[in-house]
Amino acid sequence: MNRKSLALAIAIIFCVYSLAFAQKAVLSNIIVTNTRDDLLVYLNVEGAFTPKMKKAILSGVPATFSFYISFYQVRSFWFDHKIKDIEVSNTIKYNNLKEDFVVKRSWEKSGPQVTQSFDEAKKLMTDIDSLKIVPLKQLVKGRHYQLRAKAELSKVTLPFYLHYVLFFVSLWDFETDLYTIDFIY
Amino acid sequence: MGNKRYNKSVSILSIEDKKRRKREIIISVVIVAVVALLTLIENRIVHFGADIPVSNTILMFILININLLLLILLIFLVFRNLVKLLYDRKRKVMGTKLRTRLVVAFIALSLLPTIVLFFFSINFITTSIEFWFKVPVEQALENSLDVGRSVYRHSEENSRFFMERISYQITSKHLLNPKNIKALSHYIQIVQREFNFNAVEIYADNAARITFALDSEMEDKPLDVISADNLQKEIPPNGVRAISERIPTGELVRTIGIIPFGSRSADARAFIVLAKLIPPNLVKKMSSISRGFEEYQQIKLLKNPIQATYYITLSIVALLVVFCSVWFGFYLAKTITIPIKVLAEGIRRVKEGDLSVNIAMVADDEIGSLVDSFNKMTRDLRIGRDQLELSARLLREQNIEIEKRRQYMEIVLKNVSAGVITLDAGGFISTINKSAEKMLNLEPENILQKSYKTLLSGQLLELAEGVINNLKSSQHDATELPLKLTIDGRPMSFSMHVNALKDDSGKHMGMVMVFDDLTELEKAQRMVAWREVARRIAHEVKNPLTPISLSAQRLKRKYSEQVKEPVFDECTQIIIDHVELIRNLVDEFSSFARFPTADPKPCELAPIIEETLALYKEGNPHIHFDFNVTDDIPPLNLDRQQIKQAMINLVDNAIGSIRNDGRIVISLSHDPILKNVRVEVADNGVGISDEGKTRLFEPYFSTKKAGMGLGLTIVSTIIADHNGMIRVQDNKPKGAKFVIELPV
Repeated sequence: MNRKSLALAIAIIFCVYSLAFAQKAVLSNIIVTNTRDDLLVYLNVEGAFTPKMKKAILSGVPATFSFYISFYQVRSFWFDHKIKDIEVSNTIKYNNLKEDFVVKRSWEKSGPQVTQSFDEAKKLMTDIDSLKIVPLKQLVKGRHYQLRAKAELSKVTLPFYLHYVLFFVSLWDFETDLYTIDFIY
Repeated sequence: MGNKRYNKSVSILSIEDKKRRKREIIISVVIVAVVALLTLIENRIVHFGADIPVSNTILMFILININLLLLILLIFLVFRNLVKLLYDRKRKVMGTKLRTRLVVAFIALSLLPTIVLFFFSINFITTSIEFWFKVPVEQALENSLDVGRSVYRHSEENSRFFMERISYQITSKHLLNPKNIKALSHYIQIVQREFNFNAVEIYADNAARITFALDSEMEDKPLDVISADNLQKEIPPNGVRAISERIPTGELVRTIGIIPFGSRSADARAFIVLAKLIPPNLVKKMSSISRGFEEYQQIKLLKNPIQATYYITLSIVALLVVFCSVWFGFYLAKTITIPIKVLAEGIRRVKEGDLSVNIAMVADDEIGSLVDSFNKMTRDLRIGRDQLELSARLLREQNIEIEKRRQYMEIVLKNVSAGVITLDAGGFISTINKSAEKMLNLEPENILQKSYKTLLSGQLLELAEGVINNLKSSQHDATELPLKLTIDGRPMSFSMHVNALKDDSGKHMGMVMVFDDLTELEKAQRMVAWREVARRIAHEVKNPLTPISLSAQRLKRKYSEQVKEPVFDECTQIIIDHVELIRNLVDEFSSFARFPTADPKPCELAPIIEETLALYKEGNPHIHFDFNVTDDIPPLNLDRQQIKQAMINLVDNAIGSIRNDGRIVISLSHDPILKNVRVEVADNGVGISDEGKTRLFEPYFSTKKAGMGLGLTIVSTIIADHNGMIRVQDNKPKGAKFVIELPV
């Protein structure tokens, strides 16, 4: 085996290795709809929760799902015009004293939701329901628009600042691909 | 030429420069690529978390990269050295064995404690971690948590118990009826007081609060209305659902129940909420328990990663130690083997004869002193060799000088007319010069390195031993003695000087014999003496002869008649005859003494000999005469008369030696190399004795009864006057042979 092929093999091994680390999470059921006044989006994340993650949450580690949603007006011969950039997050925290899950959804006006069911808590974490994107009046009839959405797990903080020490340790990690939905208003 | 060389060196430099640049570029590219790859890998593996500042993240990446680069560099160096060592071992490079041993020793020495420490640390960490997560701790925490939970549970259970009764009372007393609102409020207040709740609330089925009662603790604090969503949420099968909220005075736990108790939310006529305030300190403690348990759980969750991290860190440190020790081993081996290598190289060069080796000081330890000693040794050797070379050169020069002298001496000896023979201390002949060889007619190979005792015999040996003994016994180092020898039938007379050779300490080293050929000199001296004798005799004897003869004649004439005695006549006649005889004799002497000097003129020799032979052939019929002559006889400068006289004398002599029948052979030949003409007169007569040979040419020596013995003396004189040479040899097998050599 010559040097070039050896280097190539090492590179491939590293890539495969790094791919194997990342769990596969996808955005599904992305629905763009509207009320009388606003453009709304519905979506949920699938494959975000793993047994390891559940264990961590039950151990009291707070987890936050962040959703990045951008709304563009598509232009043929020019850069797309960004109309809105939304970042929302759902945070889950288990209360072991009361044995319930507290889910805070940054985009909901009502306070945190408390549930004793993990499934319900999961649903609350992964679902984005009727999130207002823009008022309809901002849109122009017949124009081409595009919604780009992506979700990722963030703000995982290990206790005792262990993340400063354990750089190599990752309890979980996911980042979905960027999903796009095109429509003409 | 110089220009070309300059160009060449420039081109070499530029090539080296290019190589160096290429190498630098490759190293830079490799470093950049490695850093990029490492960063990529780290980025994929390591997550610092979002709350760590970007600058810190970059710093961490840089530090990790530097560490990894250093580690890679160390690994590279170690492996490079290992590969080099293996390669060198294969090539059997000097010092590899020592290097290998040192490296192996270092690896072994470092591996042992490192492995022990590594496994001890691993064991220690594992045990420690296991110890931290020991069951009693978890159990205690769980129990504490259970205590906390029981507080809530108890509160809920308590609320449920009372709620069931309250609900029954409200339903049975129809207190929900709008006209009984007052009674409901009153009942609620009683309940609140009786059952010691902090607050009791009644909500209509539409989630509107109908009435509520507060204790004194809660009176001055606002009590929020529970939202419809919250109220209408499904109630668990036990019939109550608790929600809690933090207020300044503690945690308010509100238990929601449905009227009628246990019915579904959809069938609710109203909702009853019983609130109980948990004191702040209790809340604090419970949350502390909760937090502690949580943290414990999280740590437990991180047990394996922490362990793995410790293992990785320990492994890295262990590897670092091992690599460092290996590298140090190499370094130490290098510091030891390089001076040894240099020393060995120096010794090799010294072995090959290069003594200009000077090893630069490589260390200040024992090896350094060894190198110092080596340098001193080579210096001493160099100085010694220089001195030796100088001595050798001087010796060579002296040898050349000695050789020159020897050659000179040899030439001198060769050309000296005297014969020189040297004997060593043992009496062995060590040298003989040309003159001696010629005089004694000896071949050097026959006598050199041979003892005189084996070479000599008889009288000569006695004489030699006598001389040697005389020299040894006497105080004198030299002796002189005359010596007469017959060599090849030729009588020769020598004057011999024998000198003993002694070194500075007086030790006998041998002897040198120098002898001069006095044969001719003696002959000439004798001739001169005889001529003087003849002249005197002729003078002294001849003078009285005439008066004697005249007197005798006178006596005869005067008294013959008177005496008449025949005796008288006879006697006077005898006197006259003998006087005549004496006169003839004296005349002969006189002619010898007054022998005229030769007057040589060019003439042919062969006719002279033929004329001589013609004189005798007729008168000697019993003798056979032979005359052999070669054709190449050149004319010679001769006094014809004298040469004829000489030939007559010789032939006469030869005839005289032949008693009866005989043979006389005369040979005439020319030797162009020696440039002489050789006349040999050989007879087969009686021959000549050795003593006769020595005196043959002396006057008055004759083997014949008649004659004065001057014939051969005259021949010898004539030949000598012609610068020629005459000698007598034995004619084999019988007779004598006279050989005359005349120069051309």
